Amino acid sequence: MNFDSYDLDPAVFDEMFGADGAPHPHCGDLYDTLGSMSSDDLSAIGEWVTRSFTNEGITFTVYGDDEETERIIPIDSVPRVMSATEWGELTAGLKQRLSALNRFLEDIYGEARIIADGVIPADMVRDCPQYRLEMRGFKAPHGVWVAVCGTDLVRTNDGFRVLEDNLRVPSGVSYMLAIRKATKSAHRLLYRLSRVRDIENYGLILAQTLRELAPEGRSDPTMALLTPGIYNSAFYEHMFLARQIGADLVEGRDLLVEDGYVYMRTTSGLKRVDVIYRRVDDDFLDPLVFRPDSLLGVPGLLHAARLGNVSLVNAPGTGVADDKSVYAFVPDMIRYYLGAEPLIENVETYLCRRPEDLEYTLDNLEHLVVKRVGESGGYGMLIGPHSTAEERNEFAALLRADPADYISQPTLALSRAPCLIEGRLEPRHVDLRPFILTGAETRIVPGAFCRIALRRGSLVVNSSQGGGGKDFWVLDD
Amino acid sequence: MLSRSAAGLYWMGRYLERASHLSRLLRQQTESLADSPPRDIYFGWHRIYGALDREPLSGALELDSDDLFALVDSFALADDLTFEPTNPDSIRSCFAQGRENARQMRHHISAEMWTCLNQSHLRLQDMEMPDIWVRSPENFYAETAAEIDTFRGVTSSTLYRDDAWHFVQLGNYLERTQLSASLLMAQIAAVHLFEVPADAYWTSLLRHYYAFEAYNRASSAAIDPDRVLGLLVTNPQLPDSLSLSVSELCGELAAIGPGPDTEATARTRSQAEYLRQLVGIEWPGGADGHALLRRIDEGCRELHHLITKTYFDYPVLAPDHGRAGRHDQ
Repeated sequence: MNFDSYDLDPAVFDEMFGADGAPHPHCGDLYDTLGSMSSDDLSAIGEWVTRSFTNEGITFTVYGDDEETERIIPIDSVPRVMSATEWGELTAGLKQRLSALNRFLEDIYGEARIIADGVIPADMVRDCPQYRLEMRGFKAPHGVWVAVCGTDLVRTNDGFRVLEDNLRVPSGVSYMLAIRKATKSAHRLLYRLSRVRDIENYGLILAQTLRELAPEGRSDPTMALLTPGIYNSAFYEHMFLARQIGADLVEGRDLLVEDGYVYMRTTSGLKRVDVIYRRVDDDFLDPLVFRPDSLLGVPGLLHAARLGNVSLVNAPGTGVADDKSVYAFVPDMIRYYLGAEPLIENVETYLCRRPEDLEYTLDNLEHLVVKRVGESGGYGMLIGPHSTAEERNEFAALLRADPADYISQPTLALSRAPCLIEGRLEPRHVDLRPFILTGAETRIVPGAFCRIALRRGSLVVNSSQGGGGKDFWVLDD
Repeated sequence: MLSRSAAGLYWMGRYLERASHLSRLLRQQTESLADSPPRDIYFGWHRIYGALDREPLSGALELDSDDLFALVDSFALADDLTFEPTNPDSIRSCFAQGRENARQMRHHISAEMWTCLNQSHLRLQDMEMPDIWVRSPENFYAETAAEIDTFRGVTSSTLYRDDAWHFVQLGNYLERTQLSASLLMAQIAAVHLFEVPADAYWTSLLRHYYAFEAYNRASSAAIDPDRVLGLLVTNPQLPDSLSLSVSELCGELAAIGPGPDTEATARTRSQAEYLRQLVGIEWPGGADGHALLRRIDEGCRELHHLITKTYFDYPVLAPDHGRAGRHDQ
């Protein structure tokens, strides 16, 4: 296999090659191994990985007009690698960021000092649809509102940037583990040679994190993973994680609240539940507090959590901290709560609620990415450089109609990594979602879900929009 | 174990047993298409549809002496029982339901079980009747039954023997008992309908139960319907006999332990013991035999109802904190 058709772009950081065209020092083994393989060898590995996903039913569900389809995320068989030194710097920044975000949540649902001190405008928080008035005065166990965080990182020639904090029900960790299992087996010689750091203990660490957040006096807590059910697109992950942490996989109908305690219905009667790793959105969690028409939640659940009789992970109301407008203030939160400069920077963000930012955005639509604050998954966005005049006009009208609903950011040249495309190695844009767990302490397994924009030149990595995934290896120095 | 999980595993066991039972029946039936007289072919279809208590999509079965027509009709009937999407008891529907229950309960079953079941599901998913009919339909049914047997073997080798195992087995044995009772009743009814006794009707039944050799060893005499039925109902050594199936389901119920309501648990176990009594008595033959099978069939339905009310869907009372506390770890 050679890199003849692999074009390097000086404006884009390449995960494999330096600016001089030579492989990064930590990519040497991967480069040599790929060089010694034929296109057929590498294609066979790709097919094997895909087949193993098919056989094991590692799927996400896509809903069409009248039927659901179980789909397999396209997996690229060439791993992305990173040195342990670089990973160490990254994890320090991720821990710092999550620490500040937890402090922020504890604060805004409590005394709201950060608002009183003028660091963040009150309306920025209180107008956010994810700000839950019902959570005012809530005491999260050990002050941990967000125990499971999936932070989206991108790399440019200027270094890593946080693109998004996912603080509600971040998904993708099961793909991280499943892709590792398949890729490790397919590249076993290279894997051993490269001294890749292990991630298989993620389930144990997650279980430990959840146990640390159990209510007082529950030293051997009963844990449950609350899923919306089989029709949720991430159901495979829910099932996978329940198995990993030894928890029951429950739906709202399996639980009930009596006298401020949560119970699940078992074959031998009701059993108290102490910790719920919930993968149901806030809106549907408790029909007595949030959406009254929800059939997915448990009436009285929030009351039980307020009493401290059950721990909800993540706590409701955390969405206010990963709102796309509030995101712009995370560096200020780090300075305010931790008295330190952010170790990983944000992407420059224009809040269209500010007249000057709106004007700048409208004047530069062809260069910017415009995002609707309440959307995710790559929906509701305009990628200026790839847009038509008609699309830009449409977005300009939307921005003028409701500027507070939008932010804009410069179009980043996301880094690229080699991928096997139709038998050839070609660069594709990638991002990275590591998972950060916080209980009594903060832990990060040395791995991440690496998403790929499979279409040439595309910057959209979301699996629902044609994105794929690949393994990500942290190598011992 | 979570009640909904237990119910899912129980139903997985039931659906896969149903798919296996029908695959074996259809294997025999399609084997007979090569050389059996049309009358025997129609007997077979009557027996299968009678056992399933189903009318063919094309209308009532009618005997036609035309060989070719029997084959054409058989294609439609086999399709109805194998791939017809509106038939909830077709092999593909049962497989899909079994697999869907497994998908929802994947955290309770082994990865090996899931992969085995999923691969079979993927094989079946895109098949249609013409695909299997042009080659060897009996091979398709034999392979399908063998895949379910493989799944059972993998289950036996890899599944921890906790409640997950016991509920899968409970569903499996209860379904087997009920399907057998229905099949034997349908056999008796079809024999009456076709009036002329034929050994082939009984030997095919014995072969369905893998009991032909066992029958020959135990009975040197020629085929005797009551001896055949007696063997299939009361012989505790025959793997698929009603006697062994009921004995196994009683064992599974005992292993599961009590439900939240002591009285409901007692009623459920007592119903299982009642079934054990029924299959333990000497085969009475004649009209009494048919009545006995009917009581077994009804007894199975009642047992299913009691299992559901005892373990899956019991009325929830305000928790007695003392009782709930006993389950706290």
